[in-house]
Amino acid sequence: MFLSQLRGELRKLFARRRTYLGYVVFIVFEVLILTLWVKVGRDKVAELAERNLIPMEQLYSSLTSTYWIMGGSMFLLGSIYFALVGGDIVAKESEDGNLRMVLSRPVSRLRVLLLKYFAVVIYTVTFVIFVGITGYGMSVLALGAGGGLFVWNPNLYILSVYPEWGEGFIRLFVGACFMGLSMCVVSSLAFFFSCFKMKPAAATIMALSVFFIDFVLQNMPFLRGVKHVFITYRMENWAYLLQEEIPWARIVESYTILSGLNISLFIVGWMVFQSRDFKT
Amino acid sequence: MLRIENLKKRFAGKKALKGISFEVKRGVIHGLLGHNGAGKSTTLGIVLAMISADGGEVFIDGVSVQKEQVKALRKVGAIFEAPSFYDYMSGWENLKVLVGLSGKFDHGQALDIVERVGLSDRIHSKVGAYSHGMRQRLALAQALLPEPEILLLDEPTDGLDPEGIKWFRDFIVNLRNERGMTVLFNSHLLSEVELMCDRVSIIREGALVFEGDVNDLRDDRLGFKISAEPIDVLKSVVDEFGGEWLTKSRCLFPPEHRVANVVERLVGAGAKVHEVTPVRRSLEDVYLEFSKESSCS
Repeated sequence: MFLSQLRGELRKLFARRRTYLGYVVFIVFEVLILTLWVKVGRDKVAELAERNLIPMEQLYSSLTSTYWIMGGSMFLLGSIYFALVGGDIVAKESEDGNLRMVLSRPVSRLRVLLLKYFAVVIYTVTFVIFVGITGYGMSVLALGAGGGLFVWNPNLYILSVYPEWGEGFIRLFVGACFMGLSMCVVSSLAFFFSCFKMKPAAATIMALSVFFIDFVLQNMPFLRGVKHVFITYRMENWAYLLQEEIPWARIVESYTILSGLNISLFIVGWMVFQSRDFKT
Repeated sequence: MLRIENLKKRFAGKKALKGISFEVKRGVIHGLLGHNGAGKSTTLGIVLAMISADGGEVFIDGVSVQKEQVKALRKVGAIFEAPSFYDYMSGWENLKVLVGLSGKFDHGQALDIVERVGLSDRIHSKVGAYSHGMRQRLALAQALLPEPEILLLDEPTDGLDPEGIKWFRDFIVNLRNERGMTVLFNSHLLSEVELMCDRVSIIREGALVFEGDVNDLRDDRLGFKISAEPIDVLKSVVDEFGGEWLTKSRCLFPPEHRVANVVERLVGAGAKVHEVTPVRRSLEDVYLEFSKESSCS
């Protein structure tokens, strides 16, 4: 029964036009970044390849451009859409009065929230995978299917080269899945605020505020030594899956912390939601 | 079927319910009457576990809503004053999502109910394009699925046109007659309660001021509309018979007084009686009377 109810929740989510806003923006963004990559980026990439003694086909490839599309945009651009959907999921229904209809049915509030939370998580993960697939598809159209993967992340001190397409693809795919899990933190934050008695826009802004404050603090030079305490640093740890020697201990630690945070946000959000009165 | 025991609720320190208790018997249409802000919707909210009670308990068919919410609400269907559906989905999709929360969505049963409420032609249109009357029919359909034993209606006819109100009223009365449906009907429309309900509870400022049979209320006293002058003679007769002024020229007399006696006394005192019209006391009179009594005490 839970699965059929979850299907209903997803049906509601994907029946709304604003759910697709992020998809449209990302497709436009992918076209834009690939156009720039082809028109302007080629010379710069050639220069970088020559300076670092890396074969050009590994830098100027569909996998590498997909990495740039995802890694460069998901954090700042994707977070807006995850916060928008997460912030809406409870607060909008509460504001519109739909929750009265839902809560008048024989269903517990915990189940209602679980359905909504799972719907948001599914949206987040599938969105990241969607960006990966469309980004790669467009890159293949623009640059061709072959080539390896070049990864450079100065913040995490990662510099890796995968000359073989197969290994590069697997690394990028697994990385994208973990990136999806990381982005669930933004959705969880927005979901958490959405459980309070507030407008959907307020829940979205609150979630984005927390996320960006954390991001800004993490990048302060004088806080570099304690970067590991920031959520956004932990969220970035998906990129370690693209490092040649994968630091599994660090990845397990980060994703345990992020999962704990998600669960805590859900539980506190549920307690708030449970204590609320919904006037008929 | 529904038992409400000593419900208490405060909002921001203000008492919204002051210990309300009443019972709705199986197969009865029970009106919950009161002015706006009297506490009717709060009572309904507590019955549906949407509002937590500060004290008291609600039982639906013997099951406590506060202790076993999901089990208790399995027998309930509810309709609100302005039903809020997902406007971007069709009526049918709305039904599937909402009824799915109660368990399995039965296609055949849903089609049957949709036909009964007269929405077959438009059930696959987006709800955003529905009129208020159609929304209310859809609300009725979702409330009747899967198979409730009690319907809770919160001012369901507000905003409907006269034809819509009559249709709705007839539909609910038929449900009671044919299926033995129990109904709790919240309203401030006295005429609606009078036309539909078997029993009535009157709430004023969070307290129950009356509970009883609608017919008993209507028939227990007879009023007379009297137009006579001079006014001071009329006043002295009203005082003598224990009558009660409703308006400048209208008063009520207890049933033990016969109209002939009142008129004889007026004429005897030299008054000119222009008109004497028997007036059946309406529920509105009763409501105002009980409200007044309650506020005096």
